[in-house]
Amino acid sequence: MSSVIVLAPLIIGGWPVITAAVTAAIGTMGFSIATAGANDQRSHAANRAEIEVEESEIIPNQSGIEQTLVVERNGIRATFSRDARGALKVCMEGVGVSKAELKRVGEELLGGVTQQYAYHRIVSELKERNMTIVDEEVQADRSVKIRVRNF
Amino acid sequence: MADEEIEIEISPQGKVTVRTKGIKGSRCLDVAELFARIIGREESRQLTSEYYEQSAEVQNQVHVSNRYTGGDP
Repeated sequence: MSSVIVLAPLIIGGWPVITAAVTAAIGTMGFSIATAGANDQRSHAANRAEIEVEESEIIPNQSGIEQTLVVERNGIRATFSRDARGALKVCMEGVGVSKAELKRVGEELLGGVTQQYAYHRIVSELKERNMTIVDEEVQADRSVKIRVRNF
Repeated sequence: MADEEIEIEISPQGKVTVRTKGIKGSRCLDVAELFARIIGREESRQLTSEYYEQSAEVQNQVHVSNRYTGGDP
């Protein structure tokens, strides 16, 4: 081995990029996209936890209309949106779920979104540069391994 | 060249580890730094003994130059 470099992804993109990453992540995590109008009445008894992805920048769309994406799993609701500084944030809500648990689930969800974002960014760049992806594998710990040649 | 390979691992938290294999000299860093520009912020780097080895191309060029020392052939 010649070198090992560890990188932290910087999520930059418009809302379609975020939607794609969230959609790809939730499939394996038991979440589903919330249908519009369903269970929209927020319970005052619900606990909430907000998590911001500091290393992110969501490029606003030209219409200026703020967009959100809501996913849910077993009574826990996660709303993705762009905060005032332009960073990605997720608001976790759940009745009968502690704030600590909401934060834990939210961080796990954001980890999956970041993983999917990084994966698609890397694969797109490899294809653009005509590098050969020899192998791709999802490991038992859910990490993704990609082997590349011809660079 | 045939044994040169890059291995990219993306953790469930989204952390990316880029390992270059079989690439001698500073070229391995050029490759790794390319991914740093694509992905984001570098958190750490570790260089191995292979990094400090000269590539085979550089070694062969040194030996070719001094065969003919002058005079009529």
